[in-house]
Amino acid sequence: MSVPVQCRHDETFVLNLGPQHPATHGVLRVKLTMDGEYIVKAEPVLGYIHRMHEKMAEDGNFAQFMPNTARMDYLHALAYNHGYCLAVERAAGIEVPERAEYIRVITVEMNRLTSHLLWWAAFLLDLGGFSPLLYAFDDREQILDLLERITGSRLTYCYFRFGGVYNDIDDEFIAGTYAFIKRLRSRLPRLYHDLVTGNIILIKRLKGIGMLSKEQARRYGCTGPVARGSGINYDVRKNEPYSVYPEFDFDVPVYNECDSMARYMVRMDEIEQSMRIIEQALDKLPDGPVRAKVPKILKPAAGDYWASVETARGNLGHRLVCDGKKNPYKLKLRSPTFSNLSCFGEVAEGMLLADALAFMGSLDLVIPEIDR
Amino acid sequence: MSIVEETRRALLVLFPELAAVEEEARAAAQAEAEIQAAEEAAAAEKDENEMDALLAERDAVRLDAESAKQSVAADEDNLEAAEQEDPAAEKKEKEPEEEGPRENGIVLTDHASRGTDIDVFCDPDQVVAAAGIMDEAGFFLEAITGVDWIKEDKLEVIYDYNQYGQEQCRVVVRTFVSRTEPEIPTIMDVMPSADWHERETHDFYGIRFTGHPNLIPILLPEDADFHPLLKDFTP
Amino acid sequence: METENVPSSIVQFAQLDKLLNLCRANSLWPMTFGLACCAIEMMCTGGSRFDISRFGAEVFRPSPRQSDVMIVAGTITKKMEPAVKTLYDQMPEPKWVIAMGNCAISGGPFKCKNNYNVVEGADQFLPVDVYIPGCPPRPEALLEGIMTLEEKLTGKRRWPRRQPENIGSLS
Ligand code: SF4
Repeated sequence: MSVPVQCRHDETFVLNLGPQHPATHGVLRVKLTMDGEYIVKAEPVLGYIHRMHEKMAEDGNFAQFMPNTARMDYLHALAYNHGYCLAVERAAGIEVPERAEYIRVITVEMNRLTSHLLWWAAFLLDLGGFSPLLYAFDDREQILDLLERITGSRLTYCYFRFGGVYNDIDDEFIAGTYAFIKRLRSRLPRLYHDLVTGNIILIKRLKGIGMLSKEQARRYGCTGPVARGSGINYDVRKNEPYSVYPEFDFDVPVYNECDSMARYMVRMDEIEQSMRIIEQALDKLPDGPVRAKVPKILKPAAGDYWASVETARGNLGHRLVCDGKKNPYKLKLRSPTFSNLSCFGEVAEGMLLADALAFMGSLDLVIPEIDR
Repeated sequence: MSIVEETRRALLVLFPELAAVEEEARAAAQAEAEIQAAEEAAAAEKDENEMDALLAERDAVRLDAESAKQSVAADEDNLEAAEQEDPAAEKKEKEPEEEGPRENGIVLTDHASRGTDIDVFCDPDQVVAAAGIMDEAGFFLEAITGVDWIKEDKLEVIYDYNQYGQEQCRVVVRTFVSRTEPEIPTIMDVMPSADWHERETHDFYGIRFTGHPNLIPILLPEDADFHPLLKDFTP
Repeated sequence: METENVPSSIVQFAQLDKLLNLCRANSLWPMTFGLACCAIEMMCTGGSRFDISRFGAEVFRPSPRQSDVMIVAGTITKKMEPAVKTLYDQMPEPKWVIAMGNCAISGGPFKCKNNYNVVEGADQFLPVDVYIPGCPPRPEALLEGIMTLEEKLTGKRRWPRRQPENIGSLS
């Protein structure tokens, strides 16, 4: 005799997602209280890769912290280089030669491309599509080759210096970059958009999923593509221009749908905008030195300074407190994903587990950056 | 009025004395302007009288109207000047104090050299009110952090606010708490994003945010009982 | 290292063991287990250019119970250490550990004066078989690490070792 199974909605159970779970992109852990397939409460647990960056900053001198910057957000390492350099340059009053600024913009934008390509691959892997990874990595390797040529590393760059960059770029790099952009332009509509963006399965899994309203995004301090997918026109490159960004003509893609698809589209459009910036920068690249004369040991005046840059994930801030000595008195890192993820608990409530994973993927998490 | 000025005005609510001083200054400026205007008017009247004496009465009506116009213009000019001078004067007043212990108040900072626009310094129990003002003005919380001033035996708590508008305005709210009994009310009810930032600051500095429902370690292990970013920390 | 815990018997299976090891060496199943930056290079190794499947190690399993190689790719923190240990314990014998990157070897860049949260090396609590230096190691280095593990299993190297051509100019 079979007893009909009754679904009892007053019974919940706790599900541990992570810290080792392929969909959490590293070591994020989410404590989920579930009612069947639905999430009642989601509580991210952080700190599995807290690497003491802020403590290390206080222990060494200004230049010694440079390699650490690349290891926080390793997908967009050059933006972290840039942010830290901006903070120190602001504190010490260092001028950067124009050519160096252009090279910074070019390399940061190329790095942004690699970051978005990897996000695209990993996001679709979460959703169950494997082959996009192969396409994206194919293109990504091309950029890495170019960047490796001038920076010397593939992932954890330490290329920027206070007052410039370490190395000048050469003709082969310039030619290679033009060729690469041409190649990615030709591949983008066919391989990326036709194959994936228009795919009905992808649309069904992303449209209307993970609604993050404009007001929610503001109250949680979301920035970057997450905010832009919720209709907030905010990009540090435009709102608080730094480096030579005001000289380039580019758009900030904003979507008002507030769902995962909107965030996906923002990043896809940003790939195109980054390519535009790179092209313009290469066209206009001035001659001159790439590094200003800067003393080996910096001793900025006491006071505190803030510098923001736009990374692939949003507004990265460095708060640098100096006391006139040769090491930072305090360095606070405002990482964009830390704030972006904090909305997860509220938004994931009442979602299906599989949808919550799609939402998490659309936030583009890099865990070592959250934990610092 | 620029957003920086607007926000500054909004934040003045926190400092009744300052607001009063400013109000007084404004009133004084206005009064001065009025006096000046009156004087000018009187002068004009005197002119008028002289002219009256000199010229025929037929011009009197026209001159009267002109002088009135003039006085109004002078009034406006004076007001504007007073407004422009105000923050600058305050800045001059406050800046030398920045090295030492600062008094409560609002300082306008230079964005190009500091990266911030408004620097607010207040008492620990005012941070919630400050957060409320910022929330109403459409700002979002960028970060909360602490700084350990071990020599002065104080902990500084810094709140960074920013907004999405095209015009730049970053607001810093800072306050000092004692090092032995670091306690400050939570702003979580106003800004939900403060939840994690406060937990992080608690991890690193041991600052207790009273009223926070879930003040457990976020980045450190669950059982951590140390506060690594304090300057006297040894592992 | 013969990790398989065969109850001692009079009958020895030396030849069979050899055969089994040859099979194992040619189809290592690593665990999908990224901790930090090095995991991205591990993904690259599995990606289109470096193609780890040429060496039979492309089946990345998300579950420890289905894998036999643990590639520790990244920094192990004090909070993560128990989880890594549990994962290792959940893997079925025989199993091997590759420590990828300086962090997993010794704490790498995070071995500093006031270190309060980083475990200085996976070998503090795991038996590591192969160490791959680099921060992060290049994908080629990971491939070389996998071949070294094969060599350790079978006693001989499947692919001949080649000296880089311009090694003289580097030194
Ligand atoms: S070895 Fe270097 S690249 Fe690898 S995890 Fe450690 S810091 Fe990151």
